[in-house]
Order: sequence, then structure tokens, then C-alpha cells
Amino acid sequence: MSYQVKLDMFEGPLDLLLHLIREHQIDILDIPIAKITEEYLRYLALMQELDLDVAGEFLLMAATLIHIKSRMLLPPEEVAEGEEVEEEDPRAELVDRLLEYKKFKEAAQTLSLLETEQALLHPRGAPSIAFEVEGPLAISLLELLRAFHDILRRAEVLAPLEITPEELNVGQRIVVLLDRLSVESPIEFTRLFAGSTRRAEIIITFLALLELLRRHLATARQAEPMGPIMIYRHLEPAEAPDETQAGPQPGSQ
Amino acid sequence: MTGQLDRRGVLEALLFVAEEPIPLGKLQEVLGDEDPAVTEASIRELAQRLEGEDRGLMIQEVAGGFRLTTRAEAHPWIQRLQQVKPARLSRAALETLAIIAYKQPITRAEVEAIRGVAVDGVMRTLLERGLIRMLGRKTEAGRPILYGTSPAFLEHFGFKDLGELPSLREIDELIGPPSPESPARSISSAGEDQPVAKTPSQDETRERTESGGSP
Repeated sequence: MSYQVKLDMFEGPLDLLLHLIREHQIDILDIPIAKITEEYLRYLALMQELDLDVAGEFLLMAATLIHIKSRMLLPPEEVAEGEEVEEEDPRAELVDRLLEYKKFKEAAQTLSLLETEQALLHPRGAPSIAFEVEGPLAISLLELLRAFHDILRRAEVLAPLEITPEELNVGQRIVVLLDRLSVESPIEFTRLFAGSTRRAEIIITFLALLELLRRHLATARQAEPMGPIMIYRHLEPAEAPDETQAGPQPGSQ
Repeated sequence: MTGQLDRRGVLEALLFVAEEPIPLGKLQEVLGDEDPAVTEASIRELAQRLEGEDRGLMIQEVAGGFRLTTRAEAHPWIQRLQQVKPARLSRAALETLAIIAYKQPITRAEVEAIRGVAVDGVMRTLLERGLIRMLGRKTEAGRPILYGTSPAFLEHFGFKDLGELPSLREIDELIGPPSPESPARSISSAGEDQPVAKTPSQDETRERTESGGSP
């Protein structure tokens, strides 16, 4: 399976850590470092298995986590009787970085709201700069990865019998997915994997989906955090203006 | 004044031809006003006149000036006419931009330290789109380039100036409610009680979730 999927919209290791912290409802000021390291490494392994282009920053963060974990295991240094020495928490620096990043992540969300408001106004003269419409992932890759992670785990529990060793490849699977989306769109993310019990097959399907997203042939969206992820077939922009969404009819006076 | 036009009419014409926001000082100069307060009063009068249900334009104070823009309520029709998707930045771009906006002047390495990932690609894009600009060089080894936001940044998000950036502490509260109270800030907020046009419901939220294809 040497199929490299490259996605340049990776949010980075700090983002992944914040995801994990939120997912497990962890107090950011008191991170159970062993647990979070384990979770983090699991994601990293998954990314590597998918042959995603894992950036060096992710590996660096893994090293940092492991380092902190080992320091937490060390006994506190010998201190002379009665002398109070403020032991520095090995997590302190990481927590500071996370808090700092979180602040700007939230600021970015605010900017996004303001951008939405401003996009409703069309000034004179200014040819609305042709920004790329936000990438195909209306949800982040990390969220998609997390959902995929669940599917893989469930498949392992089911412990399937490996019987049909048919030839699988991503290219064919892309065509299958496109066919399926042309019949049914949107389709819930998990349903794309329904019936697949073999790990390799599930991974191929996921890679095919990533490729569709990358080529803007499909869109993944999530109406609310933790809600179901829906996959939409991506229509040509000029095609099919949606009649159902326009509220008032122009000229219906 | 010019012929049959009063000051407000002239202002309207000036704002109509302008390609970008006109600073108050410039309008004052063109109108020949002694006192900028007089010019500003006229702008507000004009803005108030535009508030009627039968008007599709409004005056927005943005990026250190005034400009004429369509009202948010007209957006669905404009979209039908032009069939363009509203401009949106990617999450990576927004995060990078937020860091630069709040921390400027800032070097690329400093941005990367906060985001924890390389940002050269994103920053190049932001530069190309004119949302950020180079402000100079830092006086340290290697003399790295310092970046900051541009007037186009202010326009893109509808800020008068950088002082309007929400403080980082306020942000939690701002994110809380899903739909902001006022869809867009017109410079005259006087007429709160005017009848609201039958706005297509949830237009904004829909925009956010449907920047791509339609179901």
C-alpha cells in the first residue's frame, strides 16, 4: 500500500493534543501525561500506517511527551531536611504552549465569525478578492482521523475471518466511492465502511476518501462537534443552484 | 454646493466612485469643511437615510475610512446574480492571521513557535493576498523579517482599526452564542426598531456549513 496521501492542511501536534484533552475531558492544567502520551502515539501510528505525510513536528512532540513522562517518573531530587524547594512541574512548559496556542485558536474562530458577517456585504468597486473557498474539509483532518480511528477499533473487536484476499487498490476504491456518492449524497461517514471488516479494506476506503477530499470531489462536514460526519458529493459550483435554501423570492413583491 | 445636490448627495456620489474606504480627512478636504465633525455629521445623516427598507446600501466605517456597501440582507440576491461563493480563509490561514494580528510585529519563527508547525506556505499565501505585509526587520541575529496585518485585513473582517480586534479575553464570550446579534455593523446603529426585512432564515449559519457543494 504505497499510496502517499499528502494534505497540507494539517493543524499540527498542539491541535492534536487539544483534541485529545477535550475528548477525554482532561484538565489542561493537570494532564495525565502517561495516558495522553499513549493516545498521542496511537494517532501517530495511525497516521504512519496510512502513510500520511507526518510532519517532523509530530515526531518532535512525541519525543517531548515521552521526555516529560520519563521525568515525571523520576523520584524528586534529594532535598536537605526542612528546606522547601519548589519542584518544577515537567509539564509546565508544554501546558504554557498549549494555553498560548488555544488562545489563538479561539481568536481564529472569532475572526472566522467576523469574516462570515463581512462576506455578506458587497462593497462598491472592490472586486471581491477571489479567495479560495475554505478547503474541502469543512471539518478538520484530525476530526476525520478520530472518527476513522473508532471505525478501525470497532472492526478489530469484530475479529473477522480473513477469507477473500481479493486485490484492493485505492484507485478502484475511489471510483466505487464516487459511484456511491452519485447515488446517495450526503452519506454518513461510518456507512462508507459498513460491511468492511478487514483492516486493509477499511484503510483503503479511508485513503480513497482522503483523495476525493483532496481533489475537491467530495466534502466532509459536521453540523456540530462530535456529531455525525457527512460526506457530500462535490458538485461543480455553477451547477444546480439550490432552490430550497433561498428564503425570499427576488421580485416577489 | 454643487447645483441641486446637497452635501449628503455629494457624499453619496463620492463614496460610490471610491474603490476603497475614504478617510474622513479626505472627505472633509473634498467637501471643503473647516471642521471634520461637520463632515462626520453629514456622513451620519446620509447613513440614516439609507436605513429605509427601500434601500439596499449602507455606509460602513472600515479600515480607517468610510465606504458604501450593500446591506447584509441583500446578500442572497447578490449571490444569485453573481453566483460566487463568499470569500473564506482556511483554518490554518485564520490561525496564522490571528497570531500575526495580535502579536505584530512578529517574525515567522515566532508564529511557528506558537502554532507548533511550519507556516511558510500559509504566510506566503497571506502575503500574496495582501492580508499581511512586511513591516521591517528585527534587530537580532539574521535580521528576520517582521510581519503585520494590512488595511486589506481590516477590510476583510470589517474592522475600523486594530483597536477593534476583540481582546483575547473577550473571545470566550464571543464564541459562546452561535449566532452573533448584529449581522453587520453599519455606522448608524440608531434605528433599532425599524421593521426587519424578511431575511432568509439562518442564512449565516448556512453559509458557514455550505461553502462547498450542495447536497
